[in-house]
Order: sequence, then C-alpha cells, then structure tokens
Amino acid sequence: MATEARVPRLQRYRAAPWWPAATTLVIAELGLGAALLVPITFSDPNGVDPYLARLSVASVLIAMPSLFVRRLAPARPILLALAAVAATYTLLSAGPQILVDLLGSHSGSFDAQVLWASVAQAVGTSLIALAARRLVVPEWRPSLRLRHLSLRGLGAGVLGSAVLIGLGLALPANLLGRVALQPVAFGRDVPWLGPANALQAFSQEVQFRGLLLGALERTMSPRWANVSQAAVFGLAHLAISYGGPEAPFVPITFLVGLAFGWLVRRTNSLWPAVIIHAVADIALQFGIVQGLYGF
Amino acid sequence: MAFCAVATTFLAGSAPARAADAWWTPVGLQGTAVTRVSAIGDTITVRTGSGATLRSTDAGRTFAAAPAGTTFPPTGVVAIGSQRWEIDSAGRVVHVANASQSSAAVLDPGSPDLGAGADLIASPESLPGVVVAVGTDGVVWRRGQDGDWKEALLLLPASLVQGVPQVTSVTAFTQPLEEHVVDDSVYLGTDGYAVLISTDGGDDWIRAGPGLPDSVFSLSADPIATSPGHVGVVYAGTSNGLWEHELQAFPAPPAYHDAQLVWRWIGIGAITLVASIAALLGMTRLVPRRHPA
Repeated sequence: MATEARVPRLQRYRAAPWWPAATTLVIAELGLGAALLVPITFSDPNGVDPYLARLSVASVLIAMPSLFVRRLAPARPILLALAAVAATYTLLSAGPQILVDLLGSHSGSFDAQVLWASVAQAVGTSLIALAARRLVVPEWRPSLRLRHLSLRGLGAGVLGSAVLIGLGLALPANLLGRVALQPVAFGRDVPWLGPANALQAFSQEVQFRGLLLGALERTMSPRWANVSQAAVFGLAHLAISYGGPEAPFVPITFLVGLAFGWLVRRTNSLWPAVIIHAVADIALQFGIVQGLYGF
Repeated sequence: MAFCAVATTFLAGSAPARAADAWWTPVGLQGTAVTRVSAIGDTITVRTGSGATLRSTDAGRTFAAAPAGTTFPPTGVVAIGSQRWEIDSAGRVVHVANASQSSAAVLDPGSPDLGAGADLIASPESLPGVVVAVGTDGVVWRRGQDGDWKEALLLLPASLVQGVPQVTSVTAFTQPLEEHVVDDSVYLGTDGYAVLISTDGGDDWIRAGPGLPDSVFSLSADPIATSPGHVGVVYAGTSNGLWEHELQAFPAPPAYHDAQLVWRWIGIGAITLVASIAALLGMTRLVPRRHPA
C-alpha cells in the first residue's frame, strides 16, 4: 500500500491529439457491433447463436494487426483492451463446458467449473495486461493503477459497496429479480462462487478501468476518457445478453461504469472499484432468484 | 446472472426445435380475484375475493355456484400414499408413518417452530422425505431426504416502501403422474412475486411466473390428466382470475444439427471477418501516420 500523496498522477500525453483514440474506439466498436448484430438478420432467432465466440474472434482479428502494423501502434492499447473484454469473457462462459469436455466426470461440480473458468478469465486478462505493458510504447501505455491502495481508497470501496447494495434494495424487486435469499444454496455455493465473482470483478476492472480507461486518458481529457470507457462498459453488457431483458440495464451499467471510472481516477487505484464490483457481483449472485430463462 | 444466462446458452442441450408453450395460461374468471382453488380432474372449485364459492366441471370453461357446504382441502396437511405430514396447532411438523393403520403422529425431529397458525406444507411424491413448510414469519423451510431441516428461502422486500410479500400457498404433486413422468417441483405462491419453483426439494428456487399476475393467492396441483397429452396441471388463483400451468420441460435454446446450420455458421463467420477487416481498414485510414511509436 502507499498513500495517495506518494503516488504520482498519470501524465497525459498532451502532444497527441485525442481524436485518433476516439476514432479507434468508435470504429472498433462499430466493427464488433456489426459482427454481433448483422448475423441476427438472417440467423434463426431460436437457434444457438455463438455470438460470444464471434465477438472474440472479431476482437482478436482487429487487435492482432495492431501488433505488427506500425501505423496502428497508437490503436494498440485500446484494441488490446477490447480483445481482453471479449476473448476472456468467452473463456469464462465456455470454460465449464470445456472442462466437461476435457475432464468428463472429473471436472467437478458446476460451481467448481465456474471458479476455474473465472481463474482462466483472470489469467487471460492479466496476460493481455502484461502484453499491453510490454508491447505499448510509454507514451501510449495504460496505467493499470494496481500498485496502490490507500486507506482512503479502501474506505471508498467499503462505502461504495454499501451504497450500491442500498440502491439495489431500494429498486423494485421485480425489476432486478432480487426477490429472495436462498440460505441453503448460499452455504453450498459461496465457497466456490464467492471467489469466482471476485475474480470476475477483478478481470472486468482491469479490462475497463485499467486497460481501456488507462489507454484513453493518455490522449483524451479525463472526463471524456471516463465517458468513453463507461459507454463501452454499458455496450458490453448489451452484448453479453443482447435481445434479453438485460438490455434496459445498459444505461444503468453505463452510470455504474462512470462512477467506477471516477472512483479509480479519484483514488488513483483500481482496487476500490474491484471491491465494489466484487461485492455487487456476489450480491447479484446470491440475492437474485433466476427466472425460467436464466434472468 | 448474465453469466449464468450465457453459460446456459453455451451449455444448451439438444432440445427439439420448437416454440415453447406459454408457462401460464388463463383459464377463466378474468377480472375476478380467486383466493382459493382446488382441482381434481375436470372439477375445479374456487373461492373468489367476494367470498363466493364456484365450481366448474368442465376444466374451468364455465363456473357455477358450488353446492352449499363445499369446503376446500386443508393446506396444512399433505398425504402421500399412506404417509402424512401435517403442521399441528402449535406450528410444529408432525409425521404419520402409516395413516391407513392409524399410526400415531410423531413430531419430526429437528422440525422448526413455524408459529401457531402456520398451515402451508407440501411434499412431492417423487422425493420421499422431502417436505417444504412455511412459517408464519414467511420463512420457507425445507426438510431434506436425510431428515435435516433448514431455512430454504427468505423473501426480500418488494421495495423501500413496500414490505416483504406474503407466501400464500405451496403445493407439489402427491400422486404419480403419467408413466415415466416425474415432477420433483415444489410450487410456491406469493402475493407479490407470483410463483417460485424448486426442483431439488427446496435448496434452489427460480422465478416461474411469466404471464401470471404478481399476486397469487392459492395453488393446486392436479395430477389427473384431463385430456390426451396432458400429464398434470398446476392451477393458480390470482388477483386476475384462474390460471393453469401444464407441465413441460424448462425452456432451453434448441440445438440444430442440420446442413443449413453449417452454412449459417459459415455466413456468421464471413460477416465477422468482413466486419473486422472493415474496422481495420477504417482505422488504417483515419489514425494519423505520425505517432510516437
């Protein structure tokens, strides 16, 4: 830990214009959006649509050339961030089935499979973050803000968690599906799914508030960098479950992304956002009773 | 949540490709509150919010006033074969091992104090020894097949200004359904959260009320098939009439294995490739040549 006063603030690379980063983000999002949405126009709506695999392939296809084409080097950190989001989420989602295919009856309970898939997501995210540190020139390199956690930041994480849970309880139950607690299921699942949710929160914070926000704020103003990463965070939740009832939550996740981005910048640490995100995910896991269609 | 939904998509089995039937469909008495329901075959007896007792002998198509003295079966007793589980006047769960031989009612060891006046209990025929009972404080308890009682469900407040919805009913199939059809479900009716289902004896619950009004006052599981192809029906008395749920598999994305699927996926792949290349070309054109790299 280090106090905030000892932590140097990230320096914006002011010599560079803001618009290449914004253009990169918009074009990449358009490309991913096209890859996600265009096939729906001719795909059977009742069929199994491998949209996550599709998004992963598209994000990697878009990011890979930036590693080799010199002209695309400024876009590299942003494209790596987007690839981290899509590819590792697919790893998380497909992880349990991959384990079953590989290990059969030795793959453990579904809870255990989810934990191992979450570990894989965190490892994948960390590797991409490491690649971003190694393969991006200092001027464009995103600051992940993982080294610092002040007492103030810790307090912000705890307070933010309480506020988020309070807001969740204040919203109508039927809107969120948080109709009941299930003590038996909680006792059985929390040893596996608690750490799994914490790892998923860590991964997403590294992806959005670490890699993406860190990359954008090198050339954009802090406010616009935050708005941009929050927009991608919101849109990513649309992509997670497009066509499902989660779509109305895009504005909510946008606002949550804004708040997380503000908090990360304010405390100069990723950890408060990780703490709040983890608490929120665990609360969602155990406070929301799923519906027939999984929501 | 979202992750589970996505995981479900990935883990989808090979269900046949067909549109799912509605989970709940209206039977009749729309616009009328139905506070009690009891169904056996085509005969359905209901009590309305105004206190009238009505009976239908044609599976709910028409209703008429029920004969005087018509009563509803008690909700604090459940009989499965010769066994009987019931909540006594003190709010404890007692077990009668063989009701046909007038066995004595024995307090089930470890059973919770549900509170005087508690009268909601259910036990699915397909899970011997499993019992779900509701306390007067709204806590839903479950008895596992090992005899262990645990709190299984605690309803949360509907919002800041609304309280915790009341559990109004609980039911399960207490007789065998058609051959090879097993329904492990325990159905829980609530005045606010519609219906919740547990298929593992009360450990895990899901919301299963799509289409149904939020206020459900009474449930009745009828194992008698009323028409060919029916294997059992759950009736729900709600704030807006009588509804029924015909047993069916849980919805799952159907999986296809036809030749068209290959072309569909090839098309999806091609679009992914084109979109990616277009994005790259766009970036190559728009990102400036001069940069610090």
